[in-house]
Amino acid sequence: MWAIAGVIVISGLCAAIEMPSLKGQKKEQWVFWLLLVLGAGLGIAFALKVPIPNPLDLIAFLFKPIGYWLHNALQPSQ
Amino acid sequence: MKGVLQEMSENGKISVLQLMVLVFLYTIGTTVLVIPSGLAATANQDAWLGAIVGVLIGTVVLGLYIALWIVYPGQTFVGICRAALGKWAGSAIAVIFMGYGFIGASTVLFYVGNFFQTQFIPRTPIWCTVTLFALVVVMGTRLGLETISRAAELMLPWFLLFFAILVITLVPAAKYVNVRPMLEFGWKPLFEAGLSFAGTAYMPIVFLFAVFPHVKTPEKAKIGVYVTALIGGLCVVLVTLLCILVLGPNITARSMFPSYALVKKINIGNFLQRVEAVMAGMWFITTYVKTTFYFYGGVTSLSEILNLNNYRNVTLPCTMIVIVLSLIVYPDVVYMQYWDSIVFPPYILLMGVFIPLLLWIIGLFKTKPGQNAAASGKNQS
Repeated sequence: MWAIAGVIVISGLCAAIEMPSLKGQKKEQWVFWLLLVLGAGLGIAFALKVPIPNPLDLIAFLFKPIGYWLHNALQPSQ
Repeated sequence: MKGVLQEMSENGKISVLQLMVLVFLYTIGTTVLVIPSGLAATANQDAWLGAIVGVLIGTVVLGLYIALWIVYPGQTFVGICRAALGKWAGSAIAVIFMGYGFIGASTVLFYVGNFFQTQFIPRTPIWCTVTLFALVVVMGTRLGLETISRAAELMLPWFLLFFAILVITLVPAAKYVNVRPMLEFGWKPLFEAGLSFAGTAYMPIVFLFAVFPHVKTPEKAKIGVYVTALIGGLCVVLVTLLCILVLGPNITARSMFPSYALVKKINIGNFLQRVEAVMAGMWFITTYVKTTFYFYGGVTSLSEILNLNNYRNVTLPCTMIVIVLSLIVYPDVVYMQYWDSIVFPPYILLMGVFIPLLLWIIGLFKTKPGQNAAASGKNQS
């Protein structure tokens, strides 16, 4: 509960810091709010121990076969 | 138009010397702290030879980056992708790079948190250390390139001092029997070790393409980058060699942070001992530079892809994302070692060698020499 409150307070602080410089810039405001919502959402999900998909898993899925091939190809020949 | 905007959002330019300092610290980065362990696990007592092979691979990789820089003068990586592949395909590649910038920043943050939690402050939750470190990183990024470069210039003497102390105090403790027999397992493990060395030390330099357009005299800077990156690599070779000589290949392979285990061995007349916490300052400096430029590369690419006026606006939300990512990217150390040793080498080869090589070849066919001179002239004015 406290963690969620903390994440929301921090997001509010970020918004308060950035708002003056975002005045009158539509696209920048959109990007800022989208990223902030994403960041806060991730923070809350982490605080609630909701499993967040790990980007490294995706990279591992794509590169694992060639990685093992490379690893085995460079083993010392015994 | 784009160039003008970029110029406005960036306060000032950096000198060649400042860029050299950045490249030096960036090359050493996290490499010095984590890589000796992996090298010793792969190549045993030949780990230091593996590191030298890594530097040799690095000379080729750096040559590629310099060539890319010559073909596309005054462009950031996003600009290079767009110039070579057109707006949409170029942006797609740039998005992948931006993603790696953020992932790189998160993984390095995890290293920092892991280092603190296992070595210094075990009962402090990892998110506290990670958040504090990320706050300093985002502060530097928001203050701009010039500020980071000057800070790096101020930090360099401290780094050199600590490094000199490390080398001088440990040379007497070296046991030469530890490096023998040489090449017991043949040449192949050296290449695997060299690949992971070059992948950690040299291939991430592709992110410094976010910095290269802001250098005052690009001609001198190219040589400077090349030389300092190699010197940085040689510093890591030296630390790896000391790890093997002092600790032996087995302990080096087993410890998570071998160079930290190494400085614990500093002992002058049974009086000056346990200076590792002070010496760790060295890694905070280099890790800071590394994290900052992964992050800086990520946010500046994001703002260039979306054509934002100022990258600073997105730094704070991106920090929140990076902090959460750093807490989830490596669920445990076993996963970290699997990822770093199996998945990372081919991944960084694609990002740091094959894509830049492709862009360079396309650039050679696309740009004519006259065009090149015009573009670089415009950039310098």
